[in-house]
Amino acid sequence: MEFTNRVYNILLALVTIWCVAILAAPLLTTGGEVSRPIGSLLYEGFSKICHQIEARSFHIAGQKLGVCVRCSSIYFGFLATLIFILFVTSPERLRTPSIQWLFLALAPMIIDVLSYNAGIQSSPVMARLITGVLAGAILPLYIVPPLLEAVVHIRMSLHKAGGLYA
Amino acid sequence: MPEKPNKQRAVLLGGLVIGGLWGIPFVNMINCCCCAGILLGGILASYLYREEFVEGMPPFESSDALITGLLAGIAGAVVATLIGNLIHLIFGPIGAELTRDIIEKVLQRLEEQGSIPSGIYDDLLDQLEREINKPLTLYEVLKDFLFGVIILPIFGMLGGLLGFAIFGKKKTTQPA
Repeated sequence: MEFTNRVYNILLALVTIWCVAILAAPLLTTGGEVSRPIGSLLYEGFSKICHQIEARSFHIAGQKLGVCVRCSSIYFGFLATLIFILFVTSPERLRTPSIQWLFLALAPMIIDVLSYNAGIQSSPVMARLITGVLAGAILPLYIVPPLLEAVVHIRMSLHKAGGLYA
Repeated sequence: MPEKPNKQRAVLLGGLVIGGLWGIPFVNMINCCCCAGILLGGILASYLYREEFVEGMPPFESSDALITGLLAGIAGAVVATLIGNLIHLIFGPIGAELTRDIIEKVLQRLEEQGSIPSGIYDDLLDQLEREINKPLTLYEVLKDFLFGVIILPIFGMLGGLLGFAIFGKKKTTQPA
């Protein structure tokens, strides 16, 4: 159980670092000579996974965040659920809910994306924010339980193989 | 007792899908939504591996899904680097040009709606133009590969786990 909590805390720390990096990209870019290259590197890294269109992003200090509104909402929604889980239950007690909830939570975002691309609606910021948070917030419920189970299983297998000495 | 099936086929097919969705211009726009293409590749790898389990084998576990997704992501990074650079060598910066056309249309639409000030439009087009004219160097290839080899296994692994959550464990009756 202690091991499961440790794995969960590592996951929480990694997701927090990821979200901090999204916020840090504009702050570092507007900072001094030393921080600017790090900010640029973060922008470049995030550009591989997001269009980073200026008009579709939140801004800090006059600069866009590392990723767009929709992506930011998904990542911060993911982080919020990870923190929420700590307050309402313990990670090892978490069980994967029925799969239809996942599709139900993702549906508004998919509808928003498709209807925007079809030119039916303009996908306002609030729509991107709400549908993104909803999608991001549900994902940990489907990723965390198998992840914890998998890491425990891999650790046991390594123990059996004599590859780990705890 | 029979062992679990070999992951090779699932990893390679998943890696091909991930590599294609990451490396082929225009198609790779799907990843603009939080690496959706990579997640799909991870889900596919996990599903394909699950299907290889037959009666008498140990059950398909979440650790199998995690490892399959992770390995598919690594394979995907290699495939994407090969495909992406091959396309660049043959067709030139076709990917950046396609991206420019799409972003140009989006910006035009936003400008018409009044969502962005008109000055920003030209600045962004200048930025895209610079991106297109950037030469393909070994440094750029290695940098892209490095980004890929970090990002793809992470999202491939998450895809694998999502696949496990969607398709579930595969129980197999083991011989007594």
